[in-house]
Amino acid sequence: MGREEILNSVRKNKPELLPLPEINADLFNEDIDLLSGFKEKVPLVGGTIKQLTSPKDIDNEITMMYPNATNIVNRTQVSSLGTVSISDKTQPKDLEDVDLAILRGTFGVAENGAIWISEEQFYIRALPFITNDLLIILDKKDICQNLHEAYELISKRKRTFGLFISGPSKTADIEQCLVIGAQGALSLTVLLI
Amino acid sequence: MNHAQKAEIFNKNEAKVNWHDKALWYVREKRDNAAHGVKGWEQLRDLASGVKAHVLSNLDELLIEFETNAQKNGITVHWASNAEEHNKIINKILTEKNAKKVVKSKSMLTEECHLNPYLESKGFEVVDTDLGEYIVQIAKETPSHIVLPAIHKTKEEVDTLFQEHLGTKPSDGNPEYLTNEARKHLRTKFLTADVAITGVNFAIAETGGFVVCTNEGNADMGAHLAKTHIACMGIEKLIPKEAHLGIFLRLLARSATGQPITTYSSHFNKPTEGSEMHIVIVDNGRTEQLSREDFRSSLHCIRCGACMNTCPIYRRSGGHSYDATIPGPIGSILSPGKDLTKHSSLPFASTLCGSCSNVCPVKINIHEQLYKWRQIITKDVEQPVVKKTILKMTGKVFSKPKFYGLAGRSVRFMLKYAPRFLVYSKLNAWGKARELPQIKNGNFDQWYKEKRSK
Amino acid sequence: MRVGLFIPCYINQLYPQVGIATLEVLEKLGVDVYYPSGQTCCGQPLGNSGYEEDAKGACQVFVENFKEYDYIVGPSGSCIYHVKKHFDIIEQTPDVINVRNNAFELCEFIVKILGITDLGASFPYKVGLHKSCHGLRGLHLGSCSERMDAHYSTEEDLLAHVQGLELMSLTRKDECCGFGGTFAVFEEAISVKMGKDRIQDHLNNDVEVITGADHSCLMHLEGLINRNKQPIRVMHIAEILNSSI
Repeated sequence: MGREEILNSVRKNKPELLPLPEINADLFNEDIDLLSGFKEKVPLVGGTIKQLTSPKDIDNEITMMYPNATNIVNRTQVSSLGTVSISDKTQPKDLEDVDLAILRGTFGVAENGAIWISEEQFYIRALPFITNDLLIILDKKDICQNLHEAYELISKRKRTFGLFISGPSKTADIEQCLVIGAQGALSLTVLLI
Repeated sequence: MNHAQKAEIFNKNEAKVNWHDKALWYVREKRDNAAHGVKGWEQLRDLASGVKAHVLSNLDELLIEFETNAQKNGITVHWASNAEEHNKIINKILTEKNAKKVVKSKSMLTEECHLNPYLESKGFEVVDTDLGEYIVQIAKETPSHIVLPAIHKTKEEVDTLFQEHLGTKPSDGNPEYLTNEARKHLRTKFLTADVAITGVNFAIAETGGFVVCTNEGNADMGAHLAKTHIACMGIEKLIPKEAHLGIFLRLLARSATGQPITTYSSHFNKPTEGSEMHIVIVDNGRTEQLSREDFRSSLHCIRCGACMNTCPIYRRSGGHSYDATIPGPIGSILSPGKDLTKHSSLPFASTLCGSCSNVCPVKINIHEQLYKWRQIITKDVEQPVVKKTILKMTGKVFSKPKFYGLAGRSVRFMLKYAPRFLVYSKLNAWGKARELPQIKNGNFDQWYKEKRSK
Repeated sequence: MRVGLFIPCYINQLYPQVGIATLEVLEKLGVDVYYPSGQTCCGQPLGNSGYEEDAKGACQVFVENFKEYDYIVGPSGSCIYHVKKHFDIIEQTPDVINVRNNAFELCEFIVKILGITDLGASFPYKVGLHKSCHGLRGLHLGSCSERMDAHYSTEEDLLAHVQGLELMSLTRKDECCGFGGTFAVFEEAISVKMGKDRIQDHLNNDVEVITGADHSCLMHLEGLINRNKQPIRVMHIAEILNSSI
């Protein structure tokens, strides 16, 4: 259908070629402490952040925070709390009753409290959204300053599906009142190790 | 009814106008705070504008590059010249998939194409899953704002709607309770949907991928749970490289709601095994707008809604007063390109204050384009005889100093000596709520002649 | 330096005192100022209403009147903006280009061209500054709240030196008043509501006198104030700068 029609119409109507501006990342560089910047931003976007002194405390910490979680999907090496395993055969709908998903984050972004997570980390794309609560474990060294740096960091990735996630699902569609927990995960906890 | 008439009706309830104004001004303030937190904000806007201008000047090549790369990744690409083709393509996919139930996330494009009524007429169940869109859908209304679709509704109105449609208990409009009830209801829809339709915030030529931004997670819930994902995009959503997302995602949410980034910025590149991903690329008047040099840059728009939040007229007239898919300042420069006569009052629904152009993250000179549309409308659309005659006469008077002197004296004479009932008649819109200036004895010309004739 | 004084049509006919104050301020500053007698209007009401074509005659008259001056100075930001921005509809002769380049709003002329901020005026009142849109966002008389630039304001620089004057800060620093030329008539309901809201902001911040560099906005606000009998008044900034109370 419309392909040629659209392309021809574009060709007829577009202006002369304009140069593509270069991004000068230096313009946006700020002298800030990445870790403290990130730790400040996560609560502002509705998330919870905790820094652990020892990786050994991970499971204790999670159990304390989510004492009632029974259906847990763990996709990390550093926790052993998983109770629900997922595989090629898992259908997204099977994850309907997951209480908690534990994922590894690739890196965090100081300017906005977002964390990059990708399909390799959660395997089933629906997982970070359908789970009741979401917990992301992040190495405190893996924080970049802003999105310009972030896109550098993910430029070589295997492109299937991935996302920046910043806080829990939220909405302000009823009279501008912020409500945490719309259609996605009700909470997001970031554990820094 | 034109914008002014609808706006007048909206203004009959001053308390609601005040509420609407304050709610949106609050979003504007949040935007200001967020932008202040970014070093080089103005340069970031320059960059975004430059990238978009480049895109429009190279759009055919970028579209082909995008298509090639998307296809390599197993995405099916469709092209639609207009709304009708867009809707038919979607109908065809749904029919082939033997689908019955469709979940949608927010897409102004599908609003523009009137996809919902079309699909419903074909017997599909279509559910809008963005909470605001869901509210307007069950209220059988249209969104009044592109980011906050239900901003015109009070929480009490939402409460009543939910009681009718979801069987909720009366809650005095408790937002937590109502949101949670909607969540439960929409969950069942996500779990049983055959096809998910989403919009596209950015499509990347270099990778053939696309990005969808939401706060609620509804686009992802739909896209990852249904077997088929259809993403609909206007041709102007394209950007050349993934690195450009760094510019646009920094600007988008800050401009829209004052958040540093939306909760979810999902990058779709490939369908999973056993599921399908379709992209529908739509023109529907965009290449025509591309041909209009003065209005071309309106296609830079990334749909953040900042121009609505800052617009003193939008805040006090409500989105529905524009009677267009995209309301507010940006809608007022886009809509006349689609139907000049229907939307001819929109470019006049502005004081040309310029605040919209200043907040625009992609630096569209919105207020200047409003001015330009006005010049076209007075030529191409029939104008009220009185307005036209007065303004044309005024032009003649201003071009002849002698006429002007006479006219000035007459106006002052009338304002000074005509009886109040005559001056403040129904014909005088100025005098309905305002006094006219009090006339001094002479004008400046006379004073100057007397005091300064050298 | 020969300065042509541009008194916009509505000021000439309805607010001669603003024209007088403008002239007197310039005279006090030692400016060699002339008032060309054949002037009418810049054509802005026509252009903003979509009848730019019909304003060509007015543009020509304007250029004829002012072509011989080094600077053209007027007490109305929006009119000056119109000359600078929209006189592109007539042939761009050297005269037209000169007139467009050398047209200045009064405050900008005093601060930028004359380099003066202290005019020795005194005005012992609480004053609120209405930053008219075309002066602010069009002529860049000050920084705009939407933009992330460093703060500056030409009018504030001048008012800061007026003895006894207390400049009150506003909740919404540069929101439009809703005048907008023919907008005031054709979008009457919104225009009035915007004006009322602006006045309320000044009242809430204890302002006694609203001032600004564009009397058209002040005319609109004054109309509302007088109708609603509110305890506040308007004065053009030239009147304050010319005052020695």
